[in-house]
Amino acid sequence: MRVMVLVKASPESEAGVMPKQELLAAMGRYNEELVKAGIMLAGEGLHPTSKGVRVRFSGNQRTVIDGPFPETKELVAGFWLWQVKSMDEAIEWLKRAPFDDDAEVEIRPVFEAEDFGDEFTPELREQEERLRAEVAGRQ
Amino acid sequence: MRFLIIRKADAETEAGAAPTPELLEAMGRYIEELVSAGVMRYGEGLRPSSFGARVKFTDGKPVVVDGPFAETKELVAGFSLYEVGSKEEAIEWVKRWPVEDGGGNVEIEIRPLYELEDLASGETLERYARLQDEMAAP
Repeated sequence: MRVMVLVKASPESEAGVMPKQELLAAMGRYNEELVKAGIMLAGEGLHPTSKGVRVRFSGNQRTVIDGPFPETKELVAGFWLWQVKSMDEAIEWLKRAPFDDDAEVEIRPVFEAEDFGDEFTPELREQEERLRAEVAGRQ
Repeated sequence: MRFLIIRKADAETEAGAAPTPELLEAMGRYIEELVSAGVMRYGEGLRPSSFGARVKFTDGKPVVVDGPFAETKELVAGFSLYEVGSKEEAIEWVKRWPVEDGGGNVEIEIRPLYELEDLASGETLERYARLQDEMAAP
């Protein structure tokens, strides 16, 4: 199964404060372990929401709202995408992450094709497989 | 430039409501356009937060809390990664998000990614560059 691992923002991340060299180095070593274990599929940091926008849809209306956004603790500062056997395995790996201070990280399973019923028709499944293969072929 | 595109949650996504055939078709067409244009790198829907968990670190000590989580509007229901020339281009693509989603009422957040050059240089930068090469395709 795959999970998205969402690192929540903090006042520091929203202020664009770079993590200390020691933490960056420890994260680098942790990421290497994740890659070696075949767990790491993707991982990225996000610029503060001051560089982001939200697009709100309401009927025909599209409203673009510039960041920053206020609810710091609920914002996303970074993420990983992991391949794991279970939520328990994901949690055990996450507990070993070198967050040396205060941090909140959310783990959410990804929907897989098997989770969908008949509405996800054979044609749609074939389309999805074709598109995944096309993108993977470009990596 | 790369952007994380976040589809914010709502009561329906948190209830695990199944997507309608119309939404599945429309999303399939939208994604097909994004892939053909070379914009979309990957994207997934997330199961409701009742299937998730949070790990809260205090002074580096982890504590696990099971979902569901309360602040629906701030949760993530889905994400994609777009690579485009500018934030304006990302916004133009997002404005074409299927209206079938959320009954025409959704909120999409667009966030630029930190690239290697934004981080510290030297050994750390080299290590990250090597990791990027080694990572399997999502």
